[in-house]
Amino acid sequence: MMRIEFELNGEPRVLETPAERRLLAILREDFGLTGAKPGCEVGRCGACMVWLDDLPTNACLVMAWQLDGRSVTTVEAIAADPRSESVRAALAECGGLQCGYCTPGLVVTMTHLADCSPRPDAACARAQLAGNLCRCTGYGGIQRAVERLFPTADAGD
Amino acid sequence: MNPPDADVLTHEALLARVRPRPDAADKLRAQVRYPTDRYASAKGESALHGAILGSPHPHARILAIDTSAAVALPGVHAVVTAPDIPGRTHYGLRVIDRPILCADKVRCIGDPIAAVAADTLAIARAACALIRVEYALLPVVEDPELALAADAETLHEGGNLLHSVRHGWGELEAAMQAATHVVEDEYETARQMHGYLETEGGIVEPDGAGGLIVHFACQHPARDAEVIADMLRLPAGMVRVIGTPIGGSYGGKDELTIQPVAALLAWKSGRAVRLQLSRPESVDLGVKRHPFRIRMKSGCDAQGRLLFHMASLVADTGAYATHGPEILDAAQEHAVGPYAWPALAVEGRLAYTNNGIAGAFRGFGAVQTQFALERQISRLAEACGIDGLAFRRMNLVAPDASGPMGQVVAPFDGPRRVLDVLAEHPLWQQRRPRDEGRYRHGVGLALVHRSDGFGRGGPNAARIAIGLAPDGAIEIRCGFTEMGQNLIDTVRVLGARLLGCAESDLRAVLGDSARAPDSGSTAASRATAILWRGLGRHGAEWRKRLCALAAPPLGRMPDQLQAGEGGIRGADGALLLSYALLAASLGDALPELLISLEAEETPSDIAAAHYVFGACAALAEVRVDTWSGRAELTRMVIAAALGPVISPQGFLGQMEGGAMMGAGLALTEHLPTAGGRYLARNLDGYLMPTLMDAPRFEIIAVQGLPEGDEIGPRGAGEIGVNIAAPAVAEAIAAALAMPVRRLPVLPEHILDHLDMPEGAA
Repeated sequence: MMRIEFELNGEPRVLETPAERRLLAILREDFGLTGAKPGCEVGRCGACMVWLDDLPTNACLVMAWQLDGRSVTTVEAIAADPRSESVRAALAECGGLQCGYCTPGLVVTMTHLADCSPRPDAACARAQLAGNLCRCTGYGGIQRAVERLFPTADAGD
Repeated sequence: MNPPDADVLTHEALLARVRPRPDAADKLRAQVRYPTDRYASAKGESALHGAILGSPHPHARILAIDTSAAVALPGVHAVVTAPDIPGRTHYGLRVIDRPILCADKVRCIGDPIAAVAADTLAIARAACALIRVEYALLPVVEDPELALAADAETLHEGGNLLHSVRHGWGELEAAMQAATHVVEDEYETARQMHGYLETEGGIVEPDGAGGLIVHFACQHPARDAEVIADMLRLPAGMVRVIGTPIGGSYGGKDELTIQPVAALLAWKSGRAVRLQLSRPESVDLGVKRHPFRIRMKSGCDAQGRLLFHMASLVADTGAYATHGPEILDAAQEHAVGPYAWPALAVEGRLAYTNNGIAGAFRGFGAVQTQFALERQISRLAEACGIDGLAFRRMNLVAPDASGPMGQVVAPFDGPRRVLDVLAEHPLWQQRRPRDEGRYRHGVGLALVHRSDGFGRGGPNAARIAIGLAPDGAIEIRCGFTEMGQNLIDTVRVLGARLLGCAESDLRAVLGDSARAPDSGSTAASRATAILWRGLGRHGAEWRKRLCALAAPPLGRMPDQLQAGEGGIRGADGALLLSYALLAASLGDALPELLISLEAEETPSDIAAAHYVFGACAALAEVRVDTWSGRAELTRMVIAAALGPVISPQGFLGQMEGGAMMGAGLALTEHLPTAGGRYLARNLDGYLMPTLMDAPRFEIIAVQGLPEGDEIGPRGAGEIGVNIAAPAVAEAIAAALAMPVRRLPVLPEHILDHLDMPEGAA
């Protein structure tokens, strides 16, 4: 067991937990924050994405000992943040979600990208989003949302 | 492009009609609770954690199981093995062969032997590790064809042949003699993984009255409830299954997997039990797409008229039957295509092996044979020097001709209409394979038709209900589950249109065996069509009933009233009584109209034959990197003739999502086995498409139905997969003049082909 102090969605938290426990399990089991979803638990699907010190990170790859002194922001807080509004609107209006299981992870990554200064172009956003798998949409709606949110440098093909 | 046909919705027109899903806002805020998001019972008590001890061997006899050390471990509340099951120990669909817990034999890696419920997952797993199982290893049956040999080790009593099919017509020998061009080849399709992001799991809790409540993703809650009740010797009504929402299914959650084990643990411990498979466990135990080996020989005359077609299929069904027999039936039926063959012979066999379990998967047996068939058709067209589109159009069956099994089918001219649309498309008109040094480009065309619902004799009947809730909402209650297909929107659109109310008057009650009648499985692309028929045929009756109930409080005759938007209105349209006030005036006597739909089946006496077909054609454009051998899908145009589009969002999503899954089957997705073991057990070793792999989609809806059609919309759930895999294969074949014989087309196959001397295909 080790004692960890970290910030979760803006609140200071103290935790006594095994050092090798995963952030994903901590969020879901200890804090009831089930927005981060277990999909693969090897950092491949992106369904458990959170911000770790403001950078999109797979919560399944972060161990408790790495959390001390860090800040974690989950989709529950990001979705309530006005910065995510345009992302959520674009995904909803473009049909960028279906079963919705990958959706929290997408909101976490896309809100980060939309908040970057300067904003990445569509090609760069696409590359960043390759870490968020979606099995339902075929990425049609997600692609349309990306095009709406991110300026395209080269207008042609 | 300006389609001449008024019923054609271009991609832009479809996009203009897309609106946010009714559940979008909640899903985007992570406010939707999936079954695996539950860690406590309804009363708030922490659930116990379940773990399963699965077989480490693909094939073995169980000699002894000793659970004493696990039982004695502090924190363990229940340990179950097969003898703990009070009732039915096996389940299945057409063939009941799958043990809930294995007692005497294991037939695949991960086959459940015992399960534990404990205070923590770590304790549950530690307890599983303490269970001693003595095995006698059996030879592993790996190859489906060898499995069918007389001297093969058998998995089940009665041998390894699970199902076989055969049908045909015409004078085959004479047709072969008359053929100018004959194409003969062997094709292979790989094992594909569903890749739903939410692995199998959920929570089962005692309901306090002797029964159980099961929160587990499924496609047919009533059937899950029945299996669990039978297992526990409970009356069916004492098990309530809530199977929605679902974090992806694609057929993979149609039949039960671990729900019975979770229920048994809850039953034995008397506590809520949460059980979820890890991704590697889910890979081992979840069903996969059936790998097929397909031999085809087909011929046409010098003018390009098809003369004969022979197909021989062998599929690997793995350890248990589940949907295997129906999948072979579908493979056989769709091996014929929408084409007119004067002579035909199709036969197929389905073999048990120790290679995991194959089961229902979007595209359902058909996509495998459609890939092979479309290759045959393209090669015959090429042999005749006729373009693939003209060749297909020339050889279509007439819209009112009999179906692929010779059965009577609902007349449908979809195949011709989708070809007409694509014939005018710039991508088709400008298709020339392009060679740009390192990269080669090609455009492929494919055409499929595909069946709706289950075949004749299948569970095609359905029940749904319309009811008035105490708060005045008009509820459409059905056992179908929402797994992303936008069923809630479909209920609203159809409800408003066919019940005359506003969308805001409606509420969808889905996927709960206690609150909705048994609608059958949310499978076989059937839910929208059943809602369309059920509400369409009984909407007037419902409105009449509401008017009759509203007449006394309003002091009017029922025929002076109409059920409209917001409530009961007078003949002049003025709102007289809101649905909320009507409900309040009725107290407990709220109306419910139970609708029973008979199976919509072909009148022909042909087992498993389908009555209703939809159609799709597609153009796929690929760019092949001749250095790496990687084929990239850059563009895909799909024209789908499925009758009226009910939910544009649902339609578009099903087409694009299905197509990407079909493209995955064609390009990257395969799960090989060795010694009965999967060679990948997570998403790092099994490659599903990412956003970087997605093409530019153009989806075109070819609406409209033949005059007098009473069937309504054709299902959109599967056909995107069915069309995409052959279309991508055709595109690669076109780009490289490559005889594509197996899916997926991996870089090594492409490099092998490019290394081959000219003409040595």
